[in-house]
Amino acid sequence: MALDVSKFIKAPEYDIKIITRRDVFQASICEEDRFSDECLELSALIVLDAAEMKRMGIKDGANVRLTSIWGSVVVRARASPREEQKGLGFMVNGPWVNALVSDETPDGIPVFKDIEAKITISKDGMTGILELLLL
Amino acid sequence: MTKPITWTCTGCALLCEDILVYIKDNRIEKVEHACLKGKARVYGCKHAATSTVDQKEVDVNNAISQAAEILEKAKNPLLYGWSNSTSEAQVAGIELAQTLGACIDSTSSFCQGITINDIINGSVPSCTLEDVREKADVLIYWGADPMSSHPRHLSRYSYFPRGELRQRGYEEDRTAICIDVTQSRTAKISKDMFFCIPPGGDAEFMRALMDGLAGRVPKLSFDFDIKRILELAAVLKKAEFGVIFAGLGLVYSIKEEFDLISEFMSTLNRLSNFFLIPMAGHFNMRGFNHNLHEETGYIHRVGFTKNGPVSSVEYSVVEQLKHGADAVMVVGSDPLASLPLSISRRLKDIPLILVDPCSNLSTRVADVTIPCGVSGIEVGGTATRLDGKKMDISPLIQGDGLSDEMIVRRIIEEVN
Amino acid sequence: MTSAMEIYQLLPKTNCKKCNESTCMAFAVALLSRTKQYTECPPLMEEDKYIDSRQKLENILKPMEGAEETGLIIHEELCSGCGNCVVACPVNVANDPHGSGKGFGPTNGKVIFRVENGKVKAANIEECRRFGKDRILCRACIDPCPTEAIEFV
Repeated sequence: MALDVSKFIKAPEYDIKIITRRDVFQASICEEDRFSDECLELSALIVLDAAEMKRMGIKDGANVRLTSIWGSVVVRARASPREEQKGLGFMVNGPWVNALVSDETPDGIPVFKDIEAKITISKDGMTGILELLLL
Repeated sequence: MTKPITWTCTGCALLCEDILVYIKDNRIEKVEHACLKGKARVYGCKHAATSTVDQKEVDVNNAISQAAEILEKAKNPLLYGWSNSTSEAQVAGIELAQTLGACIDSTSSFCQGITINDIINGSVPSCTLEDVREKADVLIYWGADPMSSHPRHLSRYSYFPRGELRQRGYEEDRTAICIDVTQSRTAKISKDMFFCIPPGGDAEFMRALMDGLAGRVPKLSFDFDIKRILELAAVLKKAEFGVIFAGLGLVYSIKEEFDLISEFMSTLNRLSNFFLIPMAGHFNMRGFNHNLHEETGYIHRVGFTKNGPVSSVEYSVVEQLKHGADAVMVVGSDPLASLPLSISRRLKDIPLILVDPCSNLSTRVADVTIPCGVSGIEVGGTATRLDGKKMDISPLIQGDGLSDEMIVRRIIEEVN
Repeated sequence: MTSAMEIYQLLPKTNCKKCNESTCMAFAVALLSRTKQYTECPPLMEEDKYIDSRQKLENILKPMEGAEETGLIIHEELCSGCGNCVVACPVNVANDPHGSGKGFGPTNGKVIFRVENGKVKAANIEECRRFGKDRILCRACIDPCPTEAIEFV
C-alpha cells in the first residue's frame, strides 16, 4: 500500500512583502455591514501577481496562511488582472492585514506598506472577523 | 417622489456639495450623484451601536456616567478618533482633554498629519479643489489611488471637468500623471503617464526628478528608463498650474526624510507653479488638525500637561496604546481594525470607551459603548475638506439619539 | 463579453427547429444579437436535464438584457459611482455644460449618464453618438471607467 507522504511534507513557504491599499467596494460594503460575508470576502484577501502565484503553486481563490512574527491569519488569494512587481502582495487595510503588522513605530506611524510575511497554502478556513479579537 | 434636499456628503474628505437626497417619513428613499462610498454613508450601517457597560445593555445616561468615571479615575487617559466627527465635536473633545489633563490624538497621527503640518506651517504650498478644477493642467497622483479612495476626485475636480482655464478638460487641457508601485485604477486612467516605481523608491524618484529639473542626469539604484524621467521633468516645467495629490503611498515611503517634499516643491516652484493637496480620507480628519492647532499650536499628538500642551511622538496614539494610556475613549473610529493588532490589542486589557453610531470590532471589547448620530446624517456642524476649505454639514434626518458633541459635553459636565 | 460559441455550448444542440431557427447555432447567434430570447427554446425550458444550462445561459445573457440599440451594457456590480462617464460623455457635456460638464451631478434630465444610489444609470440613449445616421465609435464613457463597467456589445 502506498504511503501517503503528503501529510509529512509541510507546504512550501515563500517570502512576500505586503502593501496595504484602499478599495471602494470593500469600504462601502464593510461600512454597510462590517460583519457580513461580503465584507469578509473583500477584506480577508491578498492579491498577487498571477505568474508568481503559479510558481508558488497557489490556485486563484485558494486559502493561504500569512504569517509574520506578529501574527498569522488565513485569507483568500486572488490573482491580479495585471502584472505586479516581484514579491509583492496587496491587501486592503483592515484587521486581517493588521494582524501581521509590527508594533515598531519610530515616528508614531506603523509600517503599513512594507509588511514582511510568509505565505503558504492552507487547508484551514478563512480567519473570521471575531476570531481576530482572539489573536 | 418627494422633492430632494441638496446635501454635502460626509462619505470622504471631498465633501461633495451637489448630492440630492430624497427623504420620506424621516427615511432615505434615494440618493443621486453620490458615489458608492457616499451612498454607503447615507444609508448607514446594519449593526447600530447600543449603550452598554461591561457589554450589557444599559440606559445611555448610565453609560455616559460610567465613561466619565473611568476618565476621571485614570491617570493617563487618551481621547482618540475624531476624524469622523464635526468640528464642534472635536472642539468639545479638545476641551475635555484639557479638563482631564489628558492626551488627545486623531487618525491623522498615522495618516496625513505630517503633510497637513507642512501646509499649515507654510513650508508646502497648497490650493483649493476649486483652483484645481478651474486652473490645473498637470495633475500628479503620487502614491494615491483616488479612483479607489475618493471616487469622484477625478470626475468632480481634478482631471475630467471643463474648467475656466481648462475649457477642453481632460481631452486636451489636462495631463494626469500617476506614480505608484502598482497599476492602480487611477494609473489605468493615466495611461502612458503612469510611472511604476519599486516600494520605497519614492524619495529616489523624487531626487531623480529634481536632477531632471535642474538639467542633471538622474541616477537611480533601480531599473528605470531615465528618458521617461527627463520627459516627465519637462512636463512639470511647462505646467501652468500643477498639483500633486500626496497619497499614503508617498507619505509612508518618505516619512523619514519628509523635508524632501518641501525641498521638491521649492525646486518645482523655481521653474514652474506647483501646489500639494493631501489625500485625507475621513471627512473631517483635517478639521481636527486645524481645530487643535488653533487651540495649542500643534496639529495632533498633544498631551495637556500641568505646564500646558506639549506635542511629541510620546503623545501619539500608537505610543499611548503601547504603554502610556491607562484608559481610552475612542470617538468615531475602530482601532482594533485600523491599527496593528500588535499595538491595539492592549485595548482589551485597559478601560475602553467607544462612542460610535455603529457596532464594530472595538465595540465588541469595550467596557462602555455609547451610540451617537452619524455626522452629516443625523448630526450637523462644520467640517474641513481635504484642501482646507471649511464647509457646513447639514443633517438629513432626525435621529433619536445624542450627537458625539453632546456626549462629550455631558462627560465634561460630569467630570467638572 | 460572451460569444455565439459559448452560448451554443449551453443549448440542446439537437437542431430540433422548435424555435423557428434552422440550427442551434443559428439560435445562439439570434440570442447574441438579442433578436430572440432563450425562453423561445422549448426543450431548454421544459426538460430537467437542461436546468443547469438554462441557469448558466440566464447568467450569461442577463447583462445584455438592458442593452439598448446602441448596445450599451452597464455592469452594475463593477460600478463605483465615480462619475467619470457622467463628465466625459459628450452628450452629457453638450446638454448640461454647467452641470455634468464641470463635474457636478447632472442638473437636467437630458443627459445619458447619471449616478443613482451609487451606481450609474443610462437614459436618453438615442442621443448617444454611436447611434443614428452620423454615428461614430465614441469611447468617451468606456475609456475613463476605472473598472470597465461600461461596454458596448
